Amino acid sequence: MCCWFFLRRMGPVLLLWVAVCLSGSWAVDKGNFKTCDQSAFCKRQRAMKPGESPYRALLETMELTNTRLTLQLINDNNKVRLLLELYRLQGNITRVKINELKPLKPRYEVPDVLIREPPTEPLSLLSQDENGVVLSLGAESQRVIVSARPFRLDIVEGRDVLMSLNSRGLLGFEHLRMRKDTQADPEAENKEGTDPANPAETAKEEEEKVEDGMWEETFKTHTDSKPSGPSAVSLDFSLPGVEHVYGIPEHGDSLKLKTTDSGDPYRLYNLDVFQYELYNPMALYGSVPVMLSHNARRTMGIFWLNAAETWVDISSNTAGKTVFGKMLDYVQGSSETPQTDVRWISESGIIDVFLMLGPTPRDVFSQYASLTGTQAFPPLASLGYHQCRWNYNDQEDVRSVDAGFDEHDIPYDFIWLDIEHTDGKRYFTWDPHKFASPKEMLQGLQDKKRKMVAIVDPHIKVDTNYKIHNEIRSRGFYVKNKDGGDYEGWCWPGSAGYPDFTRPDMRAWWASQFAYDQYEGTMENLYTWNDMNEPSVFNGPEVTMHKDAMHESWEHRDVHNLYGLYVHRATAEGLIERSGGVERPFVLTRAFFAGSQRYGAVWTGDNAAEWDHLKISIPMCLSLGLVGISFCGADVGGFFKSPSTELLVRWYQTGAYQPFFRAHAHLDTPRREPWLFGPENTALIREVIRQRYTFLPYWYQLFYLAYQTGEPVMRPLWVEYPQDPATFALDDEFLLGRDLLVHPVTEEGARGVTAYLPGKHEVWFDIHTFQKHNGGQNLYIPVTMSSIPVFQRGGSIIPRKLRVRRSSTCMEHDPYTLYVALDNRRTAEGELYIDDGHTFNYEKKELMHRKFSFANGVLSSVDLEPNAQFTTKSWVERIIILGASKPSMVTLKTADGENQLEFDFDASMSVLTIRKPGMNAGADWTVTLQ
Amino acid sequence: MRFHIITAAFLWAAFVESRKIRGISSSYKRFYRERKSFLCIDGSKIIPFEQVNDDYCDCADGSDEPGTSACPRGRFYCTNLGFRPHYIPSSRVNDGICDCCDASDEYNSHARCQNTCWNLGQKERAYVEGQMKTLDEGLRLKQQLIEEGVLLWREKQAQLRELQRAAEDLQIKLEEHRKRKHEADRLKEQTLKALKAGDRDVRPESSSCGFRHQNSTVSHLFQLLDSNKDGSISLDEVKAKVVLVHDETRVLSEDEALTLLGGGHQMDLSKFQNTLWDVLTRGDGYKIKDAHSAPGGLMSEDPHLKAADRAAEWEAADLKKVEEAYETVNMEISDLQKKLEIDYGTDWEYLFLNGQCYKLKVYEYMYTLCPFNTVSQKSTAGTEVSLGLWGMWAGPAKNRYSQMVYENGEPCWQGGSRTTSVSKDQHAALASGRTQTWSTQSNFMCCVTSANVNPCDIWGRASFTRSLVLPAYSLTGTQIGSDKTIK
Repeated sequence: MCCWFFLRRMGPVLLLWVAVCLSGSWAVDKGNFKTCDQSAFCKRQRAMKPGESPYRALLETMELTNTRLTLQLINDNNKVRLLLELYRLQGNITRVKINELKPLKPRYEVPDVLIREPPTEPLSLLSQDENGVVLSLGAESQRVIVSARPFRLDIVEGRDVLMSLNSRGLLGFEHLRMRKDTQADPEAENKEGTDPANPAETAKEEEEKVEDGMWEETFKTHTDSKPSGPSAVSLDFSLPGVEHVYGIPEHGDSLKLKTTDSGDPYRLYNLDVFQYELYNPMALYGSVPVMLSHNARRTMGIFWLNAAETWVDISSNTAGKTVFGKMLDYVQGSSETPQTDVRWISESGIIDVFLMLGPTPRDVFSQYASLTGTQAFPPLASLGYHQCRWNYNDQEDVRSVDAGFDEHDIPYDFIWLDIEHTDGKRYFTWDPHKFASPKEMLQGLQDKKRKMVAIVDPHIKVDTNYKIHNEIRSRGFYVKNKDGGDYEGWCWPGSAGYPDFTRPDMRAWWASQFAYDQYEGTMENLYTWNDMNEPSVFNGPEVTMHKDAMHESWEHRDVHNLYGLYVHRATAEGLIERSGGVERPFVLTRAFFAGSQRYGAVWTGDNAAEWDHLKISIPMCLSLGLVGISFCGADVGGFFKSPSTELLVRWYQTGAYQPFFRAHAHLDTPRREPWLFGPENTALIREVIRQRYTFLPYWYQLFYLAYQTGEPVMRPLWVEYPQDPATFALDDEFLLGRDLLVHPVTEEGARGVTAYLPGKHEVWFDIHTFQKHNGGQNLYIPVTMSSIPVFQRGGSIIPRKLRVRRSSTCMEHDPYTLYVALDNRRTAEGELYIDDGHTFNYEKKELMHRKFSFANGVLSSVDLEPNAQFTTKSWVERIIILGASKPSMVTLKTADGENQLEFDFDASMSVLTIRKPGMNAGADWTVTLQ
Repeated sequence: MRFHIITAAFLWAAFVESRKIRGISSSYKRFYRERKSFLCIDGSKIIPFEQVNDDYCDCADGSDEPGTSACPRGRFYCTNLGFRPHYIPSSRVNDGICDCCDASDEYNSHARCQNTCWNLGQKERAYVEGQMKTLDEGLRLKQQLIEEGVLLWREKQAQLRELQRAAEDLQIKLEEHRKRKHEADRLKEQTLKALKAGDRDVRPESSSCGFRHQNSTVSHLFQLLDSNKDGSISLDEVKAKVVLVHDETRVLSEDEALTLLGGGHQMDLSKFQNTLWDVLTRGDGYKIKDAHSAPGGLMSEDPHLKAADRAAEWEAADLKKVEEAYETVNMEISDLQKKLEIDYGTDWEYLFLNGQCYKLKVYEYMYTLCPFNTVSQKSTAGTEVSLGLWGMWAGPAKNRYSQMVYENGEPCWQGGSRTTSVSKDQHAALASGRTQTWSTQSNFMCCVTSANVNPCDIWGRASFTRSLVLPAYSLTGTQIGSDKTIK
């Protein structure tokens, strides 16, 4: 929900903002957001040209301990010294940290994102001379070469250079300095005079020219006072042999990142962008400063741990070349290998970068997971369907929508309440008229085993009759403005304060507010949604907080991209605490940062009911998945505007196969509950929501895997087929885990789609028709409105629950149908994960994790976690074997003995259906085909 | 007693049947007679009878599993003895939620369902009884409304006819009065002309004009009073011709007349000139009857002219009165015709709504519905917005009178105007025991006017329709004119 709607309610109050909003254009007004040129530090840094770096490594300062190497760098232009720290981390990660040797005051180092101080491995010196140092990076033949003049780092494996730092000489480090111009306050002058620490710097500084925007910067009507002056950091990375880079969400752009030579760099700065445009590098609601590089031989990642405004430039020496040109190079054995160059620029903080060296995609996922943690394991119900709208008007509305789902026999798990449910946008309260008895309403949902989400945003209405405000104010928990008073901005409630979520004491207090006795009218089936946590400040610069606002001793500038993560975290912790640490939380956030995956789900913000927005939901969620955030979804149907019926149906069909499946709509769009588009479309939507529910066991298992390993749930094809270049840029189809391939229909009026089925030796089975297709080909698939192409990989076993009920909870004890899709070797494998679906007891091994395998005509189930304890009532009601031949006899063997099973064979599709084997899902058993 | 036996027999029968086949109604029993095999009802497959309700779906139509959740499109029959039987989707069997009041859907779940059918049945029976009463009452009320409507309609028609007759009469009168006025005007004109001609004769002796003038008017007035022309004014003549200026209608008393005549019973011209003439010309106490003012200018002095003038004025006043009456009557006619042109239902049963207004408060807004007239919304801040004027009945062809539409309300910032539709709410009517219950669904564009800017510029691209469902209006027919019941 963006700024402009604010107008409707607050319009007369805030003309300034009106002026900003009055672009008259339906799409985003780009003028409201900075280009690199309008962001002084980006402009300064980008003006640097590649060439000889002024930085030199002072090898004589090198210190090598068992765990780290330190070394001073000197800028020969201004003699400012930097301290380089180099760590070898466990799991093939190299960490490079660069800070000022003696900064005027401490520079911000991002806390709370790494799950722990990463464990190191020993580094050893291989050789050293006056030109540089060679260090060994552990057991593999990896080395890091530190070149002294100019300073440069190369990571080498065998004879291959994997990655080079400062190879283009674009390391930039604006040291903190005293203000020189006449406006500087006298105290600072005094300090400078009495500060003996940096005589060299102060002497040198006089030669440095003061550029515009170093000490003050104005954008539109907002002036940033920049009390610390220039403080940007930047560094370039060269990736030889790399043509594909991914990640650095969130952008409304393709999966494969584009070169940025001809335009702005990709921007990472959490912003509430009203009606965002697609296919451009503008910043959106969240930022994860992680980029993955990939070629057929190796996947790597760069994690730039900096929470300030950041810009990422990408260039490539093959970018401009045609396929023919590349061929020519190849034939002529010509010139250069392809190479991608990347440059990161941040406004403040330090350089702290993790080089995740792969080599496989899975390695990179686990390397990143070892740093920032994995996806929070969500409650099973949150993988069901979510019905949202701004707004469900009152309790009666909620009741009637809930009843509508029963009437039309459509399952759903969560109904959502947007900001209008509160008493005047005072979060943690209920509108006394419209939601007079919330517990009654929640109990009504509970009776049907359904749940609710209510929004809690981080802007707090300034109102002395509002308990939350009074407490935050009296505890001094608000973010402060540059003059030391409580920072106030405009948001939904009008004048609002912003709690300082960077403070642990503030977060603890916030979490305590979710207790059932604090947050009145709530009970166990109420969960939370954090919106506007970029933070959105309607009258702030770029609709967010002033960079010179203060979080205790740090400027907002330093922590901006972290704010949303902290809000999300404090809320999730609140939900955990209210249950005494027993229940898993479910919290959706709009703003995020590296590590946000640990706290819940993310959605792609305020999209629009347009085909392009449906299409972009795929690369947007794929990009998030690559950087650890698996629980991603886009508003089904599109938030702004009203979708055509065709678009809505197609969106449901796509959303049903994306991790977070929620329909949402703007306040001023006509109602669009699934049954409002005629019986035919109701049937189409019902069907695809039911498909979603049949696959819940698989989704749940994928999320368990994501929680354990950091592997994305929804993943690009190249992750599973890393050597097939045909997959590298695909973002109109995707995989769920390894075994489901989904190609949504995202064109209006489409009669068919061309899907790429990967894997030369693979076979793929259409899940609707069981038709078998060979992998390694582009396949044209005719489509009707009834479904989108989804394939199960030959070689996989997917457990499903075909008895679709009112909600996922109602399906708890239902039996499984195993879909066994045989590969060309007539084998298959799969897993089944079961636990109670909602508590943390899985951490105490109260779970069941089984492995199914089919080989030589025998399907068996074995326990993957013999030490775990969990029992289920669920049993196996059916086994469907795709690509089978007809057996003469099917025998089930369990601990209780042997018996023959009935079966049915469809020769036209080679589908064998084994009737009612009946064993408990937790038992050991074999089914033998003879 | 007989009832109990029947119930017992039925219970026993149901028990015997449901021992094997769960989830079917008695009308389907014939498909489930226990044999060796079972034919799916759609005829698609034959399965062993043991596979009926064995928690595995064999038939494509779900007919083999009426009592389990195994089939995706199955349905389960709740017998609900004591209450109404009904079907539920078989996906609700054993899902932990009690759906059938006899608890038969949760025979194998952790849900502890109570059999509540008897209670529900009792409640329902009481309810139905109440409903029947209400329905009867409602029908009676409706009949009454129809009768009243017819009466009202007739009354209005009669009123219209009367008014039309009155209009016709007035038309005739109007013609007459116009003629008479015309005649009077003409007469006045003539007299004036004649008088002017006479006047011209005396004009040359303008030097003695004042005296002659006075003289002539004194004698003229004397002659006017001296009705019997005997050269003196008698007591009776005074009483006949002289009145109080402030009360023309009252005849003077003997004493008053005596006083005017200076105490005597007779008065000659010379005495008249010195006494009574003065009194009459002062004009503050007494005057000549029917004279507009004290004798003054030449024209008004002339008795003929005065008479003609007076006549013309009377006629003009009369004409104006008649014209006004005619206009009023015509306006009433057109009002009435407009009202009567509105479609009040086949039996005029909605006629009584016209002229009523109903108010409803929804959160901070007060909605006012005046059927067949207007709908408006007033916020607590006090601004009243028209949500529409009576448009038409807009229900579907079958049930045209189920919905009213009010159109052309206050315009919205991006064009278009607010409209409101008011729907008859059959359910609410039943539930509330009212004869007619209406709910309004107001579809209006969202406009907020703010200072200095016209936000329409931003909103212009899309149409935003917001539905606001208001609780039902209950309009009771029994208390026509006073009732403003709001549910």
